[in-house]
Formats: sequence, C-alpha cells, structure tokens
Amino acid sequence: MSMFFKRKDIQLTIVVLTFLVVFIPYFFNIPALDAFSKKLITIASLVNGFTLALAIHSQFRRASNQWRRKSRGYYWGAYMLICLIMMILFGIIGQESAPWHWVMFAVINPLSSVNYCILAFYLSGSAARAFRARSIQAFMLLAAGSIVLLYQAPLTGAVFPVIDPIALYLTNTFAVSVSRTIYLGLATASIVLGVRMLTGREVSFLGFAREE
Amino acid sequence: MASVLFEIPGMHSGRLFGLFLEVLIVVLALYYMTREKPPYIRRVAALDAIEEAIGRSTEMGKPVFFSYGIASRGFDLRTLIGISLLSHVARVCARNETQLIVPTGGSEGSYIVRPTVEETVKTAYTLEGKPELFDPDNIPFFSGQQYAYVGGYIGAMQRNPPGAVIACSHASEHMNIAETANAMGALTIMAPSSTGKTAVLATASDYLIFPEEAGAGAAYLSKEPSELASIRVQDILKWMAIALMIIGVIAATSGSDLINRLVST
Repeated sequence: MSMFFKRKDIQLTIVVLTFLVVFIPYFFNIPALDAFSKKLITIASLVNGFTLALAIHSQFRRASNQWRRKSRGYYWGAYMLICLIMMILFGIIGQESAPWHWVMFAVINPLSSVNYCILAFYLSGSAARAFRARSIQAFMLLAAGSIVLLYQAPLTGAVFPVIDPIALYLTNTFAVSVSRTIYLGLATASIVLGVRMLTGREVSFLGFAREE
Repeated sequence: MASVLFEIPGMHSGRLFGLFLEVLIVVLALYYMTREKPPYIRRVAALDAIEEAIGRSTEMGKPVFFSYGIASRGFDLRTLIGISLLSHVARVCARNETQLIVPTGGSEGSYIVRPTVEETVKTAYTLEGKPELFDPDNIPFFSGQQYAYVGGYIGAMQRNPPGAVIACSHASEHMNIAETANAMGALTIMAPSSTGKTAVLATASDYLIFPEEAGAGAAYLSKEPSELASIRVQDILKWMAIALMIIGVIAATSGSDLINRLVST
C-alpha cells in the first residue's frame, strides 16, 4: 500500500485534486466545495502536526545511525536528542512551569540574542566593503545610502534639514517602486512554478527528480 | 478598492480579473512548454554562476554548501524554490564528484522538510549513476532553533571551508551565512526571499539571484526548451504588467478610473 502512494503519478494526482478543491471555491461561490476546502485545510494542518512526530522519529533514527557508525560529530547528534527529549518533557509538564521558563528565558533567548547581535557587525562590515565608489552606479548607491543613513541618525533633521525630504523621496518613491517590481516578479514566478508543479515538470518537492 | 466593472453570477466579487490572469498564465505556459522551438531567454548572471561556483569548488577540492532556508512555514513557496534549485545543484555536484553539504534545520517546519530534501539529494546522486557518493551525514540537521542552526552552519563552514556557498530564502540569518562565507573566501551566491534582504545581501554576496529568478532557476539551469518556457511566460507577464501600469497612469491622470475598476473586477 505504501508503495502505491509513493508512486509519482499518484502523488501528482493528489496534488492536482487538492489544488482544484482549494482553487475553485476561491473564485466561485460553491458553498459545499468551500466547506470541503476549509475542512481540507484543517486536515492538512493536522497532518502537518503528525508529520512533526514522524520528523522527530527520523531525527532519532538518524542520530542513532550516526552513533552506531561513530561518524564525525556523532556526539552532537546525541546532545541534540537529549535536548529534544528534555524540551518535550518540559513542554508536557507545562509551558508555564519553571523548567520550561528556565530553558527558554535563561538559555535559548540569551544565546539567540547574542547570535542576532552579531548581525550588526556583519552588516557594518559588508556595508563598508560595498560603499566604495568604483563606478557611477556604485557612487549613486553610496550617495543614496549615505543620505538614508544620515536621515536615520538622531539630530540630522536639526543640523541638516535639507536631508529629510530627499531621504523620504528615496525611501517612499524609489524603494517602494523597486520592491513592488520585485513582488510582481515573485508573484508571476510563483504562478508559473505552480503550473510546472501541477503539470509534473517540477517534482523535486515530492522528493523525485524530473527524469524519474 | 474601486468598484467592479461587472459581476458574474456564481463568482465571488472582485476575483474575475485574477482568475483571467491565472488562466492566461496557464494557457501561455502550456503553449510554450509544448512548442519545440526553444524560446529566447535573457541571461541571468547569478544562475549561470552556479555551475562556475561548483566547478571552482571541484578544482579547489572544497565542498559546496547549499541551503534552502529554514522552512519556517514548512513547504511554502520559498522552500519549494530552494528545493527545486537544490535538485539541480545536487546533480552537478554528483557529476563533478564534489562534496555537497546541505545544512538543514532552523525552525519547527524544517523537521518536516528535511526528509524530502534528503530524498531529493539521494535521487540526484542516483540519477547521475553515483549513488555510492551520497552520504546522509552531508545533510546535517543542526537544530530546530533558528540561531542554534546558524551557529552550527557557520561552525561547519569554518571546520570545512567551502569553495562555494549557495543559500536561498533564508531569514535574518542570511547575512551571517553570506558574511562568513565571504570571510572563508568562498564564492557566494545568495537568493533572498524579500526586497529588504535583497538590498542587504547585494553588499555581501558575489552574485545575487532575485526572487523571481530563483523561482525559475531550476528551469533555467536545466536548459530544456519546455522548461525554459516558464521563464518566457514570466517575461511576457512582466511586459503586460508594465503596459497595464503605463495605461493605468495615463488613464488616472486623465481622470478615468477604468483600469482601476478593471483590475478590481
């Protein structure tokens, strides 16, 4: 039975049927199909929840294989599993309980914040590299970047009031128009990618390759 | 929102134009896909650079790092784009016998995506006739937490310096990856998923794949006429959108809201 559902044509048929069930009621007023579509989305969310359990199972299997083969960094796999079990147990005890709070607020959040702070240095470093006027385009980027940076800095408005309208023009006109162009391209790309998926030309999301 | 031009009984109001566009896209895509003559496609430097990057890694004897993002919402569009690119990158790496490392993790959704990714890479190696080169340890799962994953990713790059790093659709950690890759002397190709990150990553990467180009990346790299058709359709639609915008601006300036009402229909 599992082999039957692993077949590419079966999986693609399910994808197309699911697409139609969700797509048609979005445009057409068919109450029965609309209700079914909403139910299907709920079912998909529930299945997603169960796949998380399967994924944790696959992590256990992977880490135990690593441990058995003693492959590089196998002990980190074990460490991750211990943390995973610990968090599951703390979660079962309750998210308001002291152990959960300790792990979240004394370990995970501070460590994540430290990593996040490093971003500021990365951004400064890359900006310093990029801000070199080696061509006309680079000079324009440098000029626009400097104006927007100055605008963001405190007291700029008081010292150089002329910068405010220029920076606002750059951010509200240029930046918005460029971002809308990118969104437009992304929207068309996603629809065309959808067509390729539904016609079976793009099957990597099912774990297959095109030639299979 | 402007009032609609007209309504069709049995259809939700304000969705007709959207349906028309989607049907048009499907018809155009199917038309170009079935045509034997390959359509004209503009060159995308960042996508062309993928093979160059893998070739460079092969010559240097260094691995290629490829990541498809942290999949925070499971199989969303951004993740699917990353996986479709991975499928191609894995095949080229298998062909060149270059080590491909695919760091996974970063969110709860990544637990669900990982098995598919492993299957995609495994299939790519099998199709290239080199299944023995596939090593599941090259698809490490670092953590379900975003920044623990980044720590693992950066650590892996520092222990095993890459020749090339190709990263798609990441969140804020994209910058950490790009800058570390840069510091390691790797050729960096980044595919951001939003406009904000596009500007930031442009300063940190050697090549930048724009969001729309990433979507068609796998088709572009495959060089198959039927696959290239999807890029052709994207270009046609963009020209149509530009034309609609120009007509809309002229109409609005002359006091007509016809285009506004048409797109609201």
